[in-house]
Amino acid sequence: MVPENIQTFPSGLSIGAEPRATPLDDLESVVALYQPRVFRFLLATLRDRDAAETLTQETFLRAWTARSSFREDCSVGTWLIRIALNLARDHTRTGRFRFWKNLSAHAVDVADVAASVPSGEMSSESRLIAQQQVGLIWETVAELSNRQRTIFLLRFLEEMDIPEIAVTTGLPLGTVKSHLYRALNVIRSRHATQPKETR
Amino acid sequence: MTPETNIALCAQPSTSTHLTEIQFGELLASTHAAGPGCSPTEAEAEEHLLACEQCAAELAGLRDSLSLFRRASTAYSNDQLRRLPPMPLPARPILSPALQPAYLVAAAALVLAAFLPMQGLRQHAPQAVAPANASASAGSSIQAYSTESNEALLDDIDHEVSASVPAPMQALADPAADTDISAQTSTQRKD
Repeated sequence: MVPENIQTFPSGLSIGAEPRATPLDDLESVVALYQPRVFRFLLATLRDRDAAETLTQETFLRAWTARSSFREDCSVGTWLIRIALNLARDHTRTGRFRFWKNLSAHAVDVADVAASVPSGEMSSESRLIAQQQVGLIWETVAELSNRQRTIFLLRFLEEMDIPEIAVTTGLPLGTVKSHLYRALNVIRSRHATQPKETR
Repeated sequence: MTPETNIALCAQPSTSTHLTEIQFGELLASTHAAGPGCSPTEAEAEEHLLACEQCAAELAGLRDSLSLFRRASTAYSNDQLRRLPPMPLPARPILSPALQPAYLVAAAALVLAAFLPMQGLRQHAPQAVAPANASASAGSSIQAYSTESNEALLDDIDHEVSASVPAPMQALADPAADTDISAQTSTQRKD
């Protein structure tokens, strides 16, 4: 499922020990196309703008360095998100991350996210309700386990289907479904407890 | 029935009351529209939704919230990304890997083009020795000629030097005539 504007080369083109051309060779185009997606996923996962920026750069650097190992068994986007996910996992494991997360001035404020609801043709009341719903989900996602949060974000933020999530996370399909349903049940519970007058 | 009670009921494996947790999860997580391709559980859940307004409303509300969550997160992330400085990229490879063989062939051709004329010059170098010898012999003949002319000049000089009175001093060759003149002059002075 490679995007149309990314040129792909069949692996049969490689001759002897010549380096194989990969879609990652044109890094500038790849960054232009996928940076918003990678940054968005890392920002929602880490909830820290600086950390998300640093790991986004690291994701593309690693992808470019290891581009010869890209086997094209998945899309470029999936491969990049997989790298980003591994980096985020390594990053959050460190105690230093937890320490700085509490102090960081660049931590994402839920009110800012909620205020980013596209207004469109909403009335002010509808907009307020929408902001509350977004804020509620954003806060609930933070309470999920790491695995549940990752799978939830891949499905509902990155709009990946379940087999693609399984490829990205390296988990069996059944495990992905199980974590996703649990995450949805937590969100549903919180959604149900929301005061009726705001819905 | 409150939503909490609804969830508690849905957790039971009964489809006669409301949707189960798994059915809700399947419906929310599915990326395809309901139809003949969906699983039997999904088909059953879809059938239930037609009959149960409460589950249908709850599912619609959750779908809306999840959609809003995505749109808001995307808008916020894009806004943050616009504020960041451009990402530094590693230097782009000068040669495309696909074109590297062509560049190598062109470089080899250039080297050959520069090297071959030099080889040609080296082959022509022994032939150039003969003209060099010829010019050397010509030079020696010139040198012999100049030696001869120098000897002739020296002979002339010797001849002139060996003469009793040099040509410019012929007027002084008879000093006696000059003595009478000088004597008359001195007599006139005495007078």
